[in-house]
Amino acid sequence: MIAEEPRVDPKKVTELATSLETELGRLIVGQKELLRDTVIALIGGGHILLEGVPGLGKTMLVRSLGQALDLTFSRIQFTPDLMPADIVGTNIIREDSGRREFEYQPGPIFANLVLADEVNRATPKTQSALLEAMQERTVTVGNETRALPVPFFVLATQNPIELEGTYPLPEAQLDRFFFKALVPFPSETELLEIARRTTGATIPELHAIGDAESIIAAQQVAREVPIAEHVLRYAGRLIIATHPSRTELDSVRKYVRYGASPRGLQTLVLAGKVRALLEGRYNVAFEDVAAVARPALRHRVFLQFEAEADGVTTDQIIDEVLERTTKESASP
Amino acid sequence: MHAAVGAGIWVGAVLLITRLVPFERRLQLALLGVPVMLAVAATAWLASRPGPGVLMSLADQSLGLKERLSTAWERRASSGLMDDLQRLDALQHAKRARLARAFPMRVNRREVGVLAMVAVAALLLAILPNPMDRLLAQQRADAASQAAAANAVHAVEAKIAANATTVPPDPKVQKILGATEKQIRQAPDPRQALQAISPAEQQLLQLSDPQTPARTSTAQNLANSLSATKAGKAAGQALTASPAKGAQALRELASQLQSLSPQERAQLAQALATAAQHAQDPAMAASLSRASSALAAGDYAAAAAALSDMASQLDSLQAQQNTDAQVAAAINSLEAARQGLAAQADRDAAAASGGAGAGASPGAGAGASPGASPGNGNNSGNGNGSGNGGSGSGGSSGHGNSGSGTGSGTGSKPSEKLFVPGQPVPGQFENDPTPLGPGQDVPLTPYTQVVQAYGKAALDATDQSLIPGSERDLVREYFSTLGAS
Repeated sequence: MIAEEPRVDPKKVTELATSLETELGRLIVGQKELLRDTVIALIGGGHILLEGVPGLGKTMLVRSLGQALDLTFSRIQFTPDLMPADIVGTNIIREDSGRREFEYQPGPIFANLVLADEVNRATPKTQSALLEAMQERTVTVGNETRALPVPFFVLATQNPIELEGTYPLPEAQLDRFFFKALVPFPSETELLEIARRTTGATIPELHAIGDAESIIAAQQVAREVPIAEHVLRYAGRLIIATHPSRTELDSVRKYVRYGASPRGLQTLVLAGKVRALLEGRYNVAFEDVAAVARPALRHRVFLQFEAEADGVTTDQIIDEVLERTTKESASP
Repeated sequence: MHAAVGAGIWVGAVLLITRLVPFERRLQLALLGVPVMLAVAATAWLASRPGPGVLMSLADQSLGLKERLSTAWERRASSGLMDDLQRLDALQHAKRARLARAFPMRVNRREVGVLAMVAVAALLLAILPNPMDRLLAQQRADAASQAAAANAVHAVEAKIAANATTVPPDPKVQKILGATEKQIRQAPDPRQALQAISPAEQQLLQLSDPQTPARTSTAQNLANSLSATKAGKAAGQALTASPAKGAQALRELASQLQSLSPQERAQLAQALATAAQHAQDPAMAASLSRASSALAAGDYAAAAAALSDMASQLDSLQAQQNTDAQVAAAINSLEAARQGLAAQADRDAAAASGGAGAGASPGAGAGASPGASPGNGNNSGNGNGSGNGGSGSGGSSGHGNSGSGTGSGTGSKPSEKLFVPGQPVPGQFENDPTPLGPGQDVPLTPYTQVVQAYGKAALDATDQSLIPGSERDLVREYFSTLGAS
């Protein structure tokens, strides 16, 4: 099978991704892994769920991303009283020359970059409106379906604490996120650097280093990156190993309720391809798959109550799966 | 490394086994293991070698190429910018990598240890003297001696056949020689080969007619008598030349009897009568007598018939002489073969006694010795040790039935008296009046002379016999002691 010719030079995608990381790094202190995951999700064409306590720069990250890519940006603060129409838009009555007619008023979701802040605070109804838009990349209001702008990239955040009065995202909706990235608390050095950068007379201003077209092209190129059969098999074994009924790992059998879905495998492969490009490589390596396993699977592996009782996290399970799933066994 | 270990084990095993089992070409067989094991290892490698994809994957892992090579190999048939870039990228990284790092020559210490041990063992086995060498040399010598003996027999057989134009070969002699040659060749060792000779000689001797000397003498007397007559002079001369010619001449003479003068007939009758008188063969004497009487009586027909009868007997004599000559030649060849085989068997026995110690040597040395020895023997052996003694076969030069074996298995006890057929026995001479064996009719000889002569004959015999070297010394010592006493 002859692959479709990439529209742009794959090297330029690498340059774009590297420049984007560098540019974001000018404003975002530390969080290298978060930046990398964000860029991978962006070029991979997926959405990302950011989990972290308030004040760690999640909103700034999304805003910076919009600036650096010259993309339209909107922010939606999810609250319990937020309605779906507040997200997807609504038809309003407009009077023109004595004639009344409905006119669609697009919601904030009609942007290239959408920050869904504290997404777990909205009701499931509102959440599902967003998540449907994320999945279908279209919005249906009334009888009319409208396509969302391309590229369409949602960064949702949720606070792992202050769970009272929140509506945790159901498993099926979590699965629609490409990545779930954890926003760690910065180190002391990073904290000081944050203070220096944000309390001075000037705040660094980001330059646009790409646009929607370049992102779309990059997404196209990323899908062309070849993956060897044994690497693909390795990714498949990782997914299977997360299933308690299919794995040989005791910890998975004991702590995991549901394993990762096929969408998880798609994410592993696609994210691996993007990471390969970011690494300046034109093929997916085992390490690419392994590197994206945590953000790709941590929201797709659901633990039992015993895991919480024993203090076992999803990342620990994923790490064990990575450790025990040998690459040699997946070799041709 | 596997092949080296395998080859080492092969070489060691071959060298070890050939120390237990004699094998002529052990070095070739041992060295054969090297290419064989290399071939086996190569075949096994070819059968179990990983495919290119696996090799690429291994190289990726070993060189840290991050699946570049395996992906490039897998997508080698694909085209497109991304694939081109990927292959180029893989090639560039592969060029920078060292292949030796990807596939290092890993030396398994345990395997190296095994190889070293096997090599040392094989070297030691190769260097240390192989006890089978002597056996192999002996086997070669045995084979050579048997071949020489068989060739000697065959040469006589061929010679007899080659003289077929002058002397018709006796098919019985040819058959005996052929069978003997075959037996000698097929015998497992010279000792067994020797056993084929005596029966052959016996069979050959049976082809001889004991009356032949008498008939020959009679023919000669007839020739002399006829030579003295005018009419029979030619016949006499012809008879002197050979019985066959003589027979032809007699037939001619018989046909001319009527044309002879009375004086010649009388002279001829007288010669025939004289010959008849001196004839040692009764049949010939009768024929000659009949011829003489008939001639004297003027019965020419009867005389001619008697002379023809005599001629027929001469023809028979000629045939018998031919057979005897062939038998003699055959026996000579068998004797020559016997000498060679006996010498080799003697050496074998000596080697066996040297290798196995004194316990086994006496038995091995005593059995065949009398056959080759010119002296006479009886069934009494004298000596010590264990084994077979006292049996043997007489050859052409001896008619004894056994020699002086040294084995005590069937040999006599040291306290028994020693008897020597044909010669005075010291014990008997002095003390025992009982006549013993074939020597009782031999004139008595002084004791010292008998001992001296007997001892000399015995010592000479031991040099040609199958008595092992160590036992020869014992025999010599025995006779020396006997002479001194």
